[in-house]
Amino acid sequence: MRKFLARVKPQFEEGGKYEKYYPLFEMVDTFAFSIGTLTPRAPHVRDAIDLKRAMSVVVIALIPAIMFSFFNVGYQEDPTRSILINFLVGFKQVMPIIIVSYAVGGFWEVLFAITRKHDINEGFLVTGILVPLVMPPTVPLWMVVIATSFGIVIGKEIFGGTGYNIFNPALVARAFLFFAYPAAISGDQVWTTIDGVSKATPLAIAAGTPGGQGVELLHQSGVSFWDMFIGLIPGSIGETSTLAIALGAILLLITRIASWRVMLGILLGMIGMALITNGIAGASDNPMLSLPPHYHLVMGGFAFGLVFMATDPVSCAQTDTGRWIYGLLIGMLSVVIRSLNPAFPEGMMLAILLGNAFAPLIDYFVLRAHIKRRKKRYAQ
Amino acid sequence: MNHIQLKKGHDLRIAGKPECRIQVAANPAELKVSPLNFPKIKPRILVKAGDSVQIGTPLFYDKLLPLILHVSPGGGTVSEIKLGARRRVEEIAITLDSNEKAVQHPVFSEDKLSKLKGQDIRDHLLKTGLWPVIRQRPFSKIANPDVPPKAIFISAMPTAPFAANQATILEDDSGGFQAGLDLLSKLTPGKVHLVIHPQENFPALKNAKNVTVTSFAGPHPAGNVGIHIHHLDPLQAGEVVWYLSAQDVNAIGKLFLTGIFPQYKIIALGGSNVSKQHYLKIRRGSTVAHLLKDNTVSEPARYISGDVLGGTKILPSQCLGYYDEILSVIPEGTIRRVMGWAAAGFDRYSLSPTFLSNLTPRKDFSFDTGRNGSLRAIVPFGSLEAVLPMDIMPTFLIKAILARDFEEMENLGIYECDPEDFALCAFADVSKMEICEIIQDGLDFVEAEG
Repeated sequence: MRKFLARVKPQFEEGGKYEKYYPLFEMVDTFAFSIGTLTPRAPHVRDAIDLKRAMSVVVIALIPAIMFSFFNVGYQEDPTRSILINFLVGFKQVMPIIIVSYAVGGFWEVLFAITRKHDINEGFLVTGILVPLVMPPTVPLWMVVIATSFGIVIGKEIFGGTGYNIFNPALVARAFLFFAYPAAISGDQVWTTIDGVSKATPLAIAAGTPGGQGVELLHQSGVSFWDMFIGLIPGSIGETSTLAIALGAILLLITRIASWRVMLGILLGMIGMALITNGIAGASDNPMLSLPPHYHLVMGGFAFGLVFMATDPVSCAQTDTGRWIYGLLIGMLSVVIRSLNPAFPEGMMLAILLGNAFAPLIDYFVLRAHIKRRKKRYAQ
Repeated sequence: MNHIQLKKGHDLRIAGKPECRIQVAANPAELKVSPLNFPKIKPRILVKAGDSVQIGTPLFYDKLLPLILHVSPGGGTVSEIKLGARRRVEEIAITLDSNEKAVQHPVFSEDKLSKLKGQDIRDHLLKTGLWPVIRQRPFSKIANPDVPPKAIFISAMPTAPFAANQATILEDDSGGFQAGLDLLSKLTPGKVHLVIHPQENFPALKNAKNVTVTSFAGPHPAGNVGIHIHHLDPLQAGEVVWYLSAQDVNAIGKLFLTGIFPQYKIIALGGSNVSKQHYLKIRRGSTVAHLLKDNTVSEPARYISGDVLGGTKILPSQCLGYYDEILSVIPEGTIRRVMGWAAAGFDRYSLSPTFLSNLTPRKDFSFDTGRNGSLRAIVPFGSLEAVLPMDIMPTFLIKAILARDFEEMENLGIYECDPEDFALCAFADVSKMEICEIIQDGLDFVEAEG
């Protein structure tokens, strides 16, 4: 393999026959063997970390959620079957979506890399798996194709690729479906794979009956807190199990790939805002207002968004103080959108997109404060 | 004594640390002087091949600041003036006589020293050719003698990999150290800051007079002079501080006390590719090949004048950098590992906990010169911020530099920056950007525009 790569390399280098396709060669070459480039100048030694490694960790952190999703998709169809059968049924349903997402995402990434003459960026390894995990299991494959294309091209590549995007590409993909095909992904119905039968998600149940209490409504329809925590509920493919997501969160926090400030900020923002809505719940017949914080945590895409979406280092705030503000903002907005806007029971996606939009502004103010403080320091 | 404790940074656990023992290198047959060691000077050469020179004979001066003379560190014959591209002088080689002569400058008694004025000291240093040991920040170039600094900084606690213990260096021969400090204190209307290790017991350092002694503690780069300036007397546009090493303070003192240009310095020799690692007392201008004469070098090796984080790559035939007090020799090349990005990584060195080597006992690691990854756009994981003990936002400063945003660079503190302080940032960067080069670019830009 090494010899083969070394032999074909000249054809991909400048002046070679396939010069245009050098990014493809680079991808295969550095995927198979760690890169051989030497340090051109100081520092003469470098840390072993690179973007491939960092992105692989995110994919590894997603494995519990992916594994659980295989099982849960089957389980939602027929809870009485054995675990293995359900796992296989779910696998058969979900795997094509993942494959399509990677194929389409990879296609665009390679196309842009070749035309814009940059290396193929590892970011799409993560985007390519995040997109399927926020889709409903029944999503038609052609919609996956369109959504992924939209997310990668409009969400990322037109800005210059990974590192330059202002929104999380996977969320852009999902938001596109949400607004373009509301019937298929409106967030309140048709989340299971049985043809003709649609089950409401817990969020839709809790929001459903005016005048009720969110928790009671859930319990009446047989959904308990622990069901939702473990994830045995209808929902987007990878979002249902807070437990599986928490395992991924632990890995991301230990490896410091995700910012703990963002995660904690979102959690605190959500708890704070949920306590406020709980306080005013009596004055309104909106059942979502009375939903306690720990229910918010386990329902819908909150946990998934908190751990995997909002923490995207590129589209989140890039200062430490900014990350706190960004997190708190998303946490609060998610509850506000969920509770106060009946049209969008799934508030997390929009909250994060709004957070992404505000992130540069937050950073701007943090930076001005930093500059002001620096000026004061000189004056001393 | 003031104490400043820093937390951010990292001490590399690198194999090949030098023993704390000074060995005297044999007298070389040849010395070299390279104008390239001094950034941004335009040398006008005063000698030609075949000329005989003494220790202290002027070799060239800077056309931009003609007062600053550079002199020969040895006595003998100029054997070669090597020109590079566009007839730029790369090095001047001097073949030493067995009986070297030295230019004799006036000798000052301690009594006379105390009566010298700043102007006299400045002129004497310029005339004798020792002035270039004093550098300025910002821009890390030879101090402009016409612009008095707001302070002078001396770091006597380098934390860079393989850096020598300053007490050991000065122990043998610190006759001139206090005299040097006294002289320097007259060159600035402000303070002379001497920064030492909090546990420093060497009297010449601990009880230094006429200076403000501060102790710094923390991982590298806590010993870098740029970090000290940042915490003790930060620089803004238009301000200048001077700095020099503790050895060079000693050299200044001895020049005045003995009247002879100081020919020796002590360096640390480290790295896993040399068989013996220790301190070396060397002639200024010695070539790397000469310094490694008694040592077995395993090739392929990278020779670095300075430390592995901030130093300069050189060839064995070249002389050690004028300001460098470390010679590092590490393995050149890298191993291409099968699916390296997916391996558990017990054998990799990383500040990032994504490698399992973080779970195993900490032992010294033999670094190679692999970049360990492909160049990517900035993905801010916070790894830069974690190793920079300054109130500076590295990611945003880098963006401002890349965008050529002059005002923003100033706002974010470009004048306080030096590539060597950002070397650990470049080490830890996930995107493998050449951060030291970017910082240097930014400094060059503001210097040209400002």
